[in-house]
Amino acid sequence: MKFDLLNIVFETINLIGRIMSSLQKRAWLALWSMCPVYCVYFAIQIGFPDLLTTMLEHIGLFALTASIHAVAYVSGLLVIKRREAGEPLLEDERDRAIDARGTRVAYFVLLTCMIVVGVVMPFNNGGWKLVNTALLAIVLSETVRYALILIGYRGMRLAH
Amino acid sequence: MSNEVRLLRFLAQDMTQAELGKRVGLTRQTIAAIEQGRYSPSLDVAFRIAHVFGKRIDEVFHWQPGGAAGNDAVTTPAS
Repeated sequence: MKFDLLNIVFETINLIGRIMSSLQKRAWLALWSMCPVYCVYFAIQIGFPDLLTTMLEHIGLFALTASIHAVAYVSGLLVIKRREAGEPLLEDERDRAIDARGTRVAYFVLLTCMIVVGVVMPFNNGGWKLVNTALLAIVLSETVRYALILIGYRGMRLAH
Repeated sequence: MSNEVRLLRFLAQDMTQAELGKRVGLTRQTIAAIEQGRYSPSLDVAFRIAHVFGKRIDEVFHWQPGGAAGNDAVTTPAS
């Protein structure tokens, strides 16, 4: 029974791997490796502001978060690359169009957030609050980008 | 924009989506999206698909006013 369940899981992963395009798999990987890790990071920063008092503790938490994110993303990317080895074509004009639209919207999200961080916030805030808001802007824009890529693949009509 | 790609594949000895994709330089997923009307290809790709089946482009792709692209809607002047 346990073996069957494992078999079903592996078969499902294989099926998803065949159905999804390369960019789609990377977008899922980027979201799954980034969102949970940074949700925990921002939950700690917002929910327990007294937990981190020194600069070193702040840097330590960020370093730990960034490391977990990097390890999860790179290892997932290696698995994807290994599975895609030998495939003739990984990306075409549709993938590029979907990617371009996600990137275009994410750029404006990042631009707006950076105006808030760099132009508005310095008058009232400083230190780690600025740093964390800038980090939130990056995570938010990346999330928007990958979410739009996934929406683009899931039935959104697109013309070249 | 609708198309006859699925029918033409069937008539071409049941050519697979992957095979057609390989011949025109697209992924299998994009061929599937074109067949389902979820993606309108570039003119270059549309010509290449028509060329694979030995057809004219208008025999493979049919444009309809007010279609998916959003920029081809026909507006009537106010009377």
